Amino acid sequence: MREGKVLMRALRLSTSQLNIFRYTSDKKKKRRIIGNVIGLLILFAMLMAFCISMSIGYGKIGLSYAIPVLSALLISGMAFVLTLFKTNGYLFAFREYDMLISLPFKARTVAGCKFLSMYIDSMPWFMSISLAMMIGYGVYESVAIWVYPLWIVLSMVLPVIPMLIASFIGFIIARISAGFKKTNIVQVILTIIFILFMFSLRFIIDDLIRNDKVEATLYKASQITDDVAGYYLPAKWFVNAVRDGSLLSIILLALVSVVLFILLFSIVGHSYIRINSALKSHASSRKYKMTSQKSRSVISTIAFKEYRRMIGSPNYLINAGMGIILSLVVSLIFLILGMDWVIDKVMKGAPLDAASLTPAIPFIVFLFTGMIATTAWTPSLEGKNVWIIRSLPLEMKKVYQGKMLFNFLLFAPATALSIILICISARASILDSVLYVILGIALVAYSTCWGCVCGIRHMTLDWENDVDVIKKGTATLIYMLPNMIVVMGLIVLSVFLGMRMSHVLLSLILIVIALLLALLSYVRVMKLAKKEGTGNG
Amino acid sequence: MSEKVILEIKHYSKSYKGDVKAVDDVSLSVQSGDIYGFIGHNGAGKSTTIRAIVGVLDFTEGEILIDGHSVKDEPMECKKVTAYIPDNPDLYENMTGIQYLNFIADVFNIDVKTREARIKKYADLFELTSALGDLISSYSHGMKQKVAIISALIHEPKLLVLDEPFVGLDPKATFKLKEIMHELCSKGTAVFFSTHVLDVAEKLCNKVAIIKQGRIVQTGTMEEITKGHSLEETFLEAEE
Repeated sequence: MREGKVLMRALRLSTSQLNIFRYTSDKKKKRRIIGNVIGLLILFAMLMAFCISMSIGYGKIGLSYAIPVLSALLISGMAFVLTLFKTNGYLFAFREYDMLISLPFKARTVAGCKFLSMYIDSMPWFMSISLAMMIGYGVYESVAIWVYPLWIVLSMVLPVIPMLIASFIGFIIARISAGFKKTNIVQVILTIIFILFMFSLRFIIDDLIRNDKVEATLYKASQITDDVAGYYLPAKWFVNAVRDGSLLSIILLALVSVVLFILLFSIVGHSYIRINSALKSHASSRKYKMTSQKSRSVISTIAFKEYRRMIGSPNYLINAGMGIILSLVVSLIFLILGMDWVIDKVMKGAPLDAASLTPAIPFIVFLFTGMIATTAWTPSLEGKNVWIIRSLPLEMKKVYQGKMLFNFLLFAPATALSIILICISARASILDSVLYVILGIALVAYSTCWGCVCGIRHMTLDWENDVDVIKKGTATLIYMLPNMIVVMGLIVLSVFLGMRMSHVLLSLILIVIALLLALLSYVRVMKLAKKEGTGNG
Repeated sequence: MSEKVILEIKHYSKSYKGDVKAVDDVSLSVQSGDIYGFIGHNGAGKSTTIRAIVGVLDFTEGEILIDGHSVKDEPMECKKVTAYIPDNPDLYENMTGIQYLNFIADVFNIDVKTREARIKKYADLFELTSALGDLISSYSHGMKQKVAIISALIHEPKLLVLDEPFVGLDPKATFKLKEIMHELCSKGTAVFFSTHVLDVAEKLCNKVAIIKQGRIVQTGTMEEITKGHSLEETFLEAEE
C-alpha cells in the first residue's frame, strides 16, 4: 500500500504540467503549457457543449429518462477505446520501465499504478461528458438533490471496468506478441484484428436489437441504448443507482470495479517482466552486407525517416493505420453488400437513398482517413532526438515539407481508392466520381497541413513515451476532436445541399474550399517553420 | 573485509528472439568489498547480464542470487539491497532533482534526517546542490548521471550495479565516483560495473571478468587475469 502511494505520487508529479510550470525557468515552455491548457479547456468545453446539446435533444422529445443510459454508454465506450489504444506504451514497454522495475516495487504495483495514472489522466474527458449529461438530466427530470453527488461519484467509478477490460485485452495482445520474433508487427496485427472485430460487433448488436421493429428513428436510438445497457451491466447499475437510488447497484458497481482491478493486476503481475523483457528487446541479425546505396532529396529523406519511425512503433502504426484500414474495410463493405444495405444498417430506416448520399462519399471516407494526421504528432515525436534535425544544415520548412509529404502519401492513395470503391457501389457517374476523388485528396491535403499547424504550435519534446504525443498530445487532440465533429456535420450538410443543387457544382465548391483551407494551413506551416529558421534558434 | 558473497551468477544464459544466445552460461561471484569490473566489446552481453541481475530482464536459464536471495523467486528482497545505475538513466524528466531523490528515498523508506544528510553529502560532492531545484529535463547528461548516482547511494546498498558509469561524467565527477566506490567497498558494499575504460578498470577493480560473444573468457582477480601485462593487452588478447 505504502509503495503504491509513493509510486502514484511520483507518477503524478512526473506528468504534472503544473510541476513543470512551477519549476521551469524557460518562458517559452511556460507559454506553451498555458497554450496547451487553454487548448484542452476549449476541447472539454466543446465536448460538454456536444453532450449538453445531445441531452437537450433527448429532453425536447421526451426521452430525458434515457440520458443516464446514454451518459453511461458514452463514458464506458470512450474509456474502453482510449485505454485500448494507450495500453502499449503506458502499461507495457514504457520508457522508465528499467528504472521502476529495478526499484523494490512489485510488478503488479507498477502495472496497477500505471493504470491508475492513466485513469486519472483520462478523468477530465469522462467528467466533461458526465457533468454535461447530468445538467441535461437534472433540468428535464427535476431530480432530487442527492442524485447530483451520486451521479458525479459513480461517473468516476464507471470508466474503471471498461478500462480494465481494455487493459486485459491489451495484456493478452502483448502476451501473445511477446512470444513472436516480430513482436511489433504481431502486436499491430492483433490490435487491428481486435478493433475490426469490435467494429463488426456493433452491426451484430444492432441486428439483434432491430428485431423489435420500433418505428421512429430517434425513439429507436433510445431503445437501442436502453437495450445495450441491459447487456452491459455496469451501465445498468449506474442507471439504477441514479434513477432509483438502488443501493445494491451502487455496491455492485464499486465492488466489481475493485475486485476486477485486484484480479487483473494479480494476473498481469505474474508475467509483467517477461512481457516487457520481450517487448523491449530486439534481436539483431548482424547479417548486413554493404550494398549499393540510394540518394534521396532532403524532403523525401525526411518522409522516408517518418516511414521508418512509423513501422518501428506499434503506437504510431496502429494510430496511423487504423483510419486507412477502416476506410478500406468500409468501402469494401459498400462494394460487396451494396450501398442500400449499408444505409439501411446505419440509418435504421431513415428516409435516405444511395443517390442522395453520394455527395457525402468523400466525407465518409475522410471521417476515417482524416481522423488523424501524423503531422499533428511528428514534430513532437522528434523528442530527445531533435538534436539530429537541429544540428543538420536543414531549413525547418523542408523538415515540415517532408513530414507533410509522408502524411499525404500515406492517406491520399487510401482515400482515393476508398472513394472509388464506394462510388462504384453507389453507381455514381464518372464525372461525379472523379470530382469526389479530387475532393477527397484535397481534404487529405488540408488535414496534412492543418495537422502540421497543430503539431508545430503544440510541440512537446520532453515526453515520457510516444503515447503521450501520439494519443494524448494536445496537438493530436486539438486536431482530432473538432475535425471529427466538423466532418460529421459536413456529411449531413453535403447530403442536405446535394438534394437542392447539382452534385457537380457542389463538389466543385467544396474542392475550392478544401484547397483554400489547405493552402492557408500550408502558408501557416511555412510561417511557423520560418520562425524556427534552421532549427538552431 | 568480510568474504560474504553478495552476487552470485550460476550458469546464466539469455536468448533473445531468433534463438541467438546473447549470454551463454555465465557464472561469476562477487563478494562484499569487491570492485568487480565487467569488460567486453559492444554487444558482448554486458548490459544483458546487468539487466538480469537487477531484475529488469526476464531469463529462463540459470540462477542469479543477491545476498542469498534468488532474483527470480524473491525479487523484492534482492531489490531492497541493490542499487542500479544504467548507462543512460531514464529519470523522471518533469520532476526536479530533489523531487526525484525524495521519491527514491520514499521508496526505500529512508527517514527525513538520514536522507537530508545523504543527499547533501553526495550533492555537495558532485557540486549539484544548487541545481537540485531545477527540472531534470534541464540537466545535461552528466548531471542526470550524477542524480542517478546519488539516488543509488541514498539507501546504502549492499550491491551497487553500474552500467558504463563513467560515460558523460566530467573528470572531477569521475574521480569522486571512484572515491565513493572505494569508500563503499571499505564498508562492505560490493560494486559490479561494466566499462570500456580499461585503464580505469585496471586501477579501480580488484576482480574482473571479460565477456566475449556472450561467454566469459576470463575471470578472476586483476593479478590472475593480467599476469604482469596491462589489462588492455590482456583484453585485446582475449578478444582475438
